[in-house]
Amino acid sequence: MNKELEHQFVTELESNQNIVHKVCTLYTNDRDSHNDLFQEITIQLWKAYPKFRGDSKFSTWMYRVALNTAITLYRKSKRRIQTQDYESVIFKIKADEYDETEEQQLKLMYKAVKQLGDIDKALVFLYLEDKDYSEISETLGITEVNARVKMNRIKTKLRTILNP
Amino acid sequence: MTDELDLLKKDWQKKEEHLPKLSFNDIHTMLWKKSSSIVKWILIISILEILLPQLLYLIPSMKEGMEIYKQAGVSPYFFGVSAVYYIGVAYFIYQFYRRYKEISVLDNAKSLMRKIIKTRRTVKHYVIFSLSVCFIMFVIFAFFIYFNDAFLLSIEGVSERTSEVSLEKIKTAAILAMIIGGIAFTIVLGGIYFLLYGLLLKKLKRNYSQLKKLEV
Repeated sequence: MNKELEHQFVTELESNQNIVHKVCTLYTNDRDSHNDLFQEITIQLWKAYPKFRGDSKFSTWMYRVALNTAITLYRKSKRRIQTQDYESVIFKIKADEYDETEEQQLKLMYKAVKQLGDIDKALVFLYLEDKDYSEISETLGITEVNARVKMNRIKTKLRTILNP
Repeated sequence: MTDELDLLKKDWQKKEEHLPKLSFNDIHTMLWKKSSSIVKWILIISILEILLPQLLYLIPSMKEGMEIYKQAGVSPYFFGVSAVYYIGVAYFIYQFYRRYKEISVLDNAKSLMRKIIKTRRTVKHYVIFSLSVCFIMFVIFAFFIYFNDAFLLSIEGVSERTSEVSLEKIKTAAILAMIIGGIAFTIVLGGIYFLLYGLLLKKLKRNYSQLKKLEV
């Protein structure tokens, strides 16, 4: 029974591992921490797996566990970048790296997103993953209205980076 | 105007192919690795905090000390305070266990953080309670030294000294030592505790306040 559960879990995680990798990419800065966070998320997923009833999709369930681990449970923060206020990040980027090309724009945006606070990052991540506001608000435990307001603020900020 | 974030979204979804790929076996070996989550650390530190004061009684000098208390008549007070202390400890262990059990990675982010903070708060109250009891013990000793000469004389080495220094002076010194010792002990242990948890929960607290800010 246990072996079966193990096999089932690893197979599911293997085919959905992109979600975890994306969270790790957003929340860490080098390969070692990426792997470390991936492992911690895997452990947390596995520990919670018996409670997974299959009434939601495995991937939906993964988002929550992965983000909770990255934001709250993951303790090692030595190698993480210092998060800063959005404003200061934008000004810095605006001043020395602005470029018209789309690729450059994307680079700037990735950089800006990576420097967001943990919570803002989670919001952007779920948005990029095409989650609707009801799912975003449920995952983070805030109201849908607040999720929308916050997201709009982040969008405005990003817009000002690209169109100063 | 196109939404900049949608531009990012398109690119984000294209990027999937560049992500690392782990094999079935890679993932399988990870299942049995040890977690280093903050919740686990809170559990370990809390167990240590509950066990360490109990270990003090295993030190031989503490046992000898008990003999002295018995002779001097401090014992009833000592045991009275101990009884209160252990009832308190039992209560805190129960509370801690209950709250610890409530922590679930399947909760939403805010509720998960709140539960961790609540669990830690239980430990904080336990530490404050523990330190208060310790401090009260010091105060009880100070009182006994003041009111009961026999207690002071029963402490090893004191009776020989009375020929050189007056008992009053020894008394004052002993009381002062008790009070200063009590305050120093409380501050040092309290300091270690708050530093430990301060460091452990810094990130969590920052994120929790960020989430709460969204609600305003």
